[in-house]
Amino acid sequence: MTDFAAGAAPPRTAPQENTVWNGKLVRHSAASRVIHWTVALFFFLALFTGMPIWSPIFSWMGNLMGGLHVCRWLHPWVACAFFVATIVMWTHWHADMKMTEADRGWFGPKLIEYLKFSGEDPNVGKYNGGQKLFFWFALLDAILLLLTGIVLWFSTSFGAGLREASILLHDVAFILFGVAIVAHIYLGTAAEPGTFTAMSRGTVSKAWARLHHGKWYREVTGEEKRR
Amino acid sequence: MATTQQGMEIRQSSASLRGTATGARKLPVVAKYIDTTICIGCKACEVACAEWNDLPPVQTEQRGSYQTMPTLHAQYWNLIKFNEIEIGDSLAWLMRKDQCMHCADPGCLRACPAPGAIVQYENGIVDVNPDACIGCGLCETGCPFDVPRYHARTGKMAKCTLCVDRASVGLEPACIKACPTGTLHFGNKNAMLEMAEHRVDQLHKNGFPAAAVYDPPGVGGTSVVTILAYGDHPEWYGLPKDPSVPASVRFWKRVLKPVGLIAMAGAVVAAVGHYLTVGPKEPKDQERPS
Repeated sequence: MTDFAAGAAPPRTAPQENTVWNGKLVRHSAASRVIHWTVALFFFLALFTGMPIWSPIFSWMGNLMGGLHVCRWLHPWVACAFFVATIVMWTHWHADMKMTEADRGWFGPKLIEYLKFSGEDPNVGKYNGGQKLFFWFALLDAILLLLTGIVLWFSTSFGAGLREASILLHDVAFILFGVAIVAHIYLGTAAEPGTFTAMSRGTVSKAWARLHHGKWYREVTGEEKRR
Repeated sequence: MATTQQGMEIRQSSASLRGTATGARKLPVVAKYIDTTICIGCKACEVACAEWNDLPPVQTEQRGSYQTMPTLHAQYWNLIKFNEIEIGDSLAWLMRKDQCMHCADPGCLRACPAPGAIVQYENGIVDVNPDACIGCGLCETGCPFDVPRYHARTGKMAKCTLCVDRASVGLEPACIKACPTGTLHFGNKNAMLEMAEHRVDQLHKNGFPAAAVYDPPGVGGTSVVTILAYGDHPEWYGLPKDPSVPASVRFWKRVLKPVGLIAMAGAVVAAVGHYLTVGPKEPKDQERPS
């Protein structure tokens, strides 16, 4: 922890990830946050241009984007940008997101256990198994959306079998993403107060870090395990 | 068509719920009658189609047959297909007029995501409304007859309109008007079917025991009633044997979309429910998160 002379303002330079800064833990560097929000921006642009084509129930989204014709033209391009941003995100984060032995079972019993919010495993590192799963899911789903989306984009250049498969797979991939993004947003905001600042200002409180990511907290602060 | 026809009652409309039908009037379903057995392949119908619909000429393509081009084109909605089929030691030279079949259960309309871009009028004609068409090409995937074509310059889909502009004012389609042999007729579908049955009876007695009317039930019948001398082999004419709206398209629209909607709405409901019952997970320390 850096000591500052009494009264001197702390430096406003971008703090290093995984350090203590102004009494808080730095969880995401500016680069991480910019990448995350770039992915999010293009995700929502793709969502708002795609959903009115998916179902007329969401035609109001199409109106927001300037009409269904605009959606048909814009959707593939913002989707390409989404894919590129996702790949950048992958290169930036994949090392942190390696699944370890401790993350096993997250897609199942551990997820149910976690959602009970009854207690927290003190040995969770910077990312828990669920976060890692979401990361890899988002990558694989983005690839699936891209491949099927290219077929739909230039649908008149592909054979009937490929077009039919792409219609179904593009839908399935989107529905999975739709469900996953609801969980992602809920857990990042209302469900776990203090989490959102990790992606806005980049910092989290010590108490938050101790609760949600005990191992990471100890690594960053050098504190011993309690009890 | 520039727009959907004024005064024409719409029976159903793409990507729309019930209520898009514009009237209670029940109009008789119209149909083209095509007797392939007396078609001489003169292509007068092709020319008449291009002329009436003001379609600019398309480059023809010579592939060793009389056929004008390999398949339909966004600016060529009517194409005589020439097929040479060897039957035993003889050869059948089969001609068929290829165009939109105007299905009673149109796969293009089922697959279309743009509200009102494909409409079916009360008289059975299936039409593309370019104002609403977004040129996504999904209608092509829905069509079991491979008819709709993407027009690169306009970015819209295009196909035979069954000359709805003529039909709606009591005129027969341009192709019918041009036919010199009596291959083509136009009228109420019941009348066309009756004529076709009569003609098929004749063919049965004249050495074509397999002659049949092609009005496939898989798509609810079509507003094109085709007489085939070899009715047991529609594929010889380039027609699918038992066409229907692709199962994938039906599954996509009728199962996958509702399931997806429920799944995503369910995720929102689950999140709200979780918040209300389990509640947020907050640090218990005196130190509050920022």
